[in-house]
Formats: sequence, C-alpha cells, structure tokens
Amino acid sequence: MFRKLLLSSLTALALSPALASSALAADYVQAPGSTLVFASSYDGEVFTGRFGSFDTKLSFDPAKLEGSRLDVTIGIPGTKSGNGERDGTLLGSDFFDAGKFAQARYVATRFRALGGDQYAADGELTLRGVTKPVTLTFTWTAGAQPVLKGKATVKRLDFGVGGGDWADTKTIPNETAVSTRVVLKPAP
Amino acid sequence: MTLKNTPDRWGAVSQSLHWLIVLLIFGLCVVGLLMDELPRTPKYFWVYTAHKSAGITVLALVIVRLAWRLLAGGPRPVPNTPGWQHAIASITHVLLYAVMLGMPLSGWLYDSASGLRPFKFFGLFDMPKLTAPDDGLRHLSHTAHEWGLYAIIVLVLMHAGAALYHHLVLRDATLARMLPRGWLRLPASQSPAKES
Repeated sequence: MFRKLLLSSLTALALSPALASSALAADYVQAPGSTLVFASSYDGEVFTGRFGSFDTKLSFDPAKLEGSRLDVTIGIPGTKSGNGERDGTLLGSDFFDAGKFAQARYVATRFRALGGDQYAADGELTLRGVTKPVTLTFTWTAGAQPVLKGKATVKRLDFGVGGGDWADTKTIPNETAVSTRVVLKPAP
Repeated sequence: MTLKNTPDRWGAVSQSLHWLIVLLIFGLCVVGLLMDELPRTPKYFWVYTAHKSAGITVLALVIVRLAWRLLAGGPRPVPNTPGWQHAIASITHVLLYAVMLGMPLSGWLYDSASGLRPFKFFGLFDMPKLTAPDDGLRHLSHTAHEWGLYAIIVLVLMHAGAALYHHLVLRDATLARMLPRGWLRLPASQSPAKES
C-alpha cells in the first residue's frame, strides 16, 4: 500500500510540468542584508538614496530561465537621502508623491543570459502610477544564500518623478542609477 | 576726510566698511528670516545663493576691516566717557566682530554639511566645501546660525542704542565721527554754550 502510494505520487510529480519547473527554478525570498539604493545629482552634486523598504520574491534557475520570475515591492515612505530637507522634497508631490503612491513594484518574467554569471531581466516598473519597461542587469552568485547584484537605469521623467520646476535634466539628469544587492534564502 | 583713522574720527576706510557691512547685515537678516517661507523649488534657489554669497562678502569685508582696525587703530573714546561705559562698548565691539565672523562661517558650514547643491558665489564660481555632507553637523551649524541671529539683534540694539544715546542725550561726537564730517551736528563740541 505504501509503495503503491509513493509510486503514484512520484508519477504524478514527474508528469506535472508545473511542479517540475518549480522544483527546478528554486523559489527564494529576500534575506536580511539586502540593499536597494538610487543615485542622482543636483547641479553635479551627487546624492544617494535608500528606499523606505523593499521585498523580493524570486523564482530563478540559471539553467532554465523561462520559468523565472522576479517580483520586487518597494515601499516609498521612509526613503532617505541623507538630508531631511531633500527627503521632504523627494517624498512630496513633485517627486515620489509618497502620500498617493506609497508603493512601487518591479516584475520581470523575461530573462536573458549575458554570459558567465551575468543576466538581464526585462521587466516592468510601476512607479508613481506609471508602468514602463525597465531592464535590470545582474550577476548571480549561487550558494546556500544566493546573491543577486543588479543595476538598472530608470528615466525619472518617464514616471513623472521631478516634473514641473524640477524637469530640467541639466540640473537633475533624467537617468537615475538604481542598484541592488539582494541576499536570498529558499522560500519557506 | 582722511582715509586713516585719527584720534578724533574714523577715517573713510573704516566708515565705508562699517556702513557697507551694516547694509549687508540688515539685508541678510531680512532675507534670512523670510527665506524659510519660500517654496523649496529651483525657481527660488537664487535667493538662497544670493543670501549665501552676500554672507561670504561680509566675511571677506570683516576680515579686511579687522586687519585695517589693527593697522590703523581707532579713535580714542570721546572725553569724559566713564571707564565702565568704554569697557562695555569694547566688549560689544569684540562680540560684534565674533558674530560677524561666526555667522558667515556657520552659514557656509550649514551649506556644506547639507550637500544639496554646489554653492556658486553669485553664480560665478564654486565655493569650496568646508565638510562632506553630515546630518549632525548640519543641525549643529543651523542652530549656531539661528542663535547668531539672536545675538546680532541684541548686540546691534546695544550698539546702536548706545550710539543714539551718545548723540541725542549726551550730545557728543561718538556717532558723528563714524559719519562723514558735517552730516551730523555736534552741539556738544561745536557750541558748548548751548548746553549752559
């Protein structure tokens, strides 16, 4: 009876492509020690910021990129850039408008191998109510706690971040550098 | 009017520096107090830059003024000034110099510690940064700048009040000798008969 049950469940497992793929593309969640920062400048004066919070869910298998999926939720309130006055402006309606758009989200399901441990994810970023494609390039370091180290360039004006008086790209460049280092652990 | 200071009068250099700095400080205080009410958008950033640049101008002028004061000296106190009055006046002068140096320096430090944007002196050239961005130093220098303003108000009231007291009540030359000859009448020295 036991053998029969085991056999039939193993058969079911082998036949189910969904289960098979999820068994291959391991599921991960974010572990402590992860960072998500952005860098820009005002009149050439560089500053970096750290989002209030972020949470990553990843299904990824370097050998089978088709089933992979990256889903990052970013909490805008609490974003800090090292200057309270600037933080107030960044969270205000001219920039992130944190009161109205408290969350940003990045979802990617199309992955490309760039050679070695380098990959690119062609995903979509939803920020300030606008959804646009954004590509994240990253290196993947496998291990018990794999590390995803990535970079993306986000055109702030595509998302209406810093419009109006602040729109001049000679003062604040349109391209904002975003970089992340996500430490991952197997999903529970 | 002589350029140099004489035992009786301030010369043209000291007078020009004194009144030019008075005008700048007055403008700086007014703009400094109103600046906080401005919307923090690039449209108004020139006001901040003008305030900072005028402040650095005061710093430079005060250094020149101190050097000139050490080189050219100052007139003696007007005759019959009690020693304690002269002492208070001297202490006030020292404190005024301290605050005239401290205000631009704390403002400059506040700008550097904030690290929001480059500080271009009247839009002409980049001013060096006194420090890397530092939130603790930013708060400290801002507090110092604020207390400096209160100190200026108290010291200027004492200083100008004493000058007016000398001119209007004691009717001596203390105020007149900081102005070009003939701008103010000197009842006490020119027509002593009037007093009696």
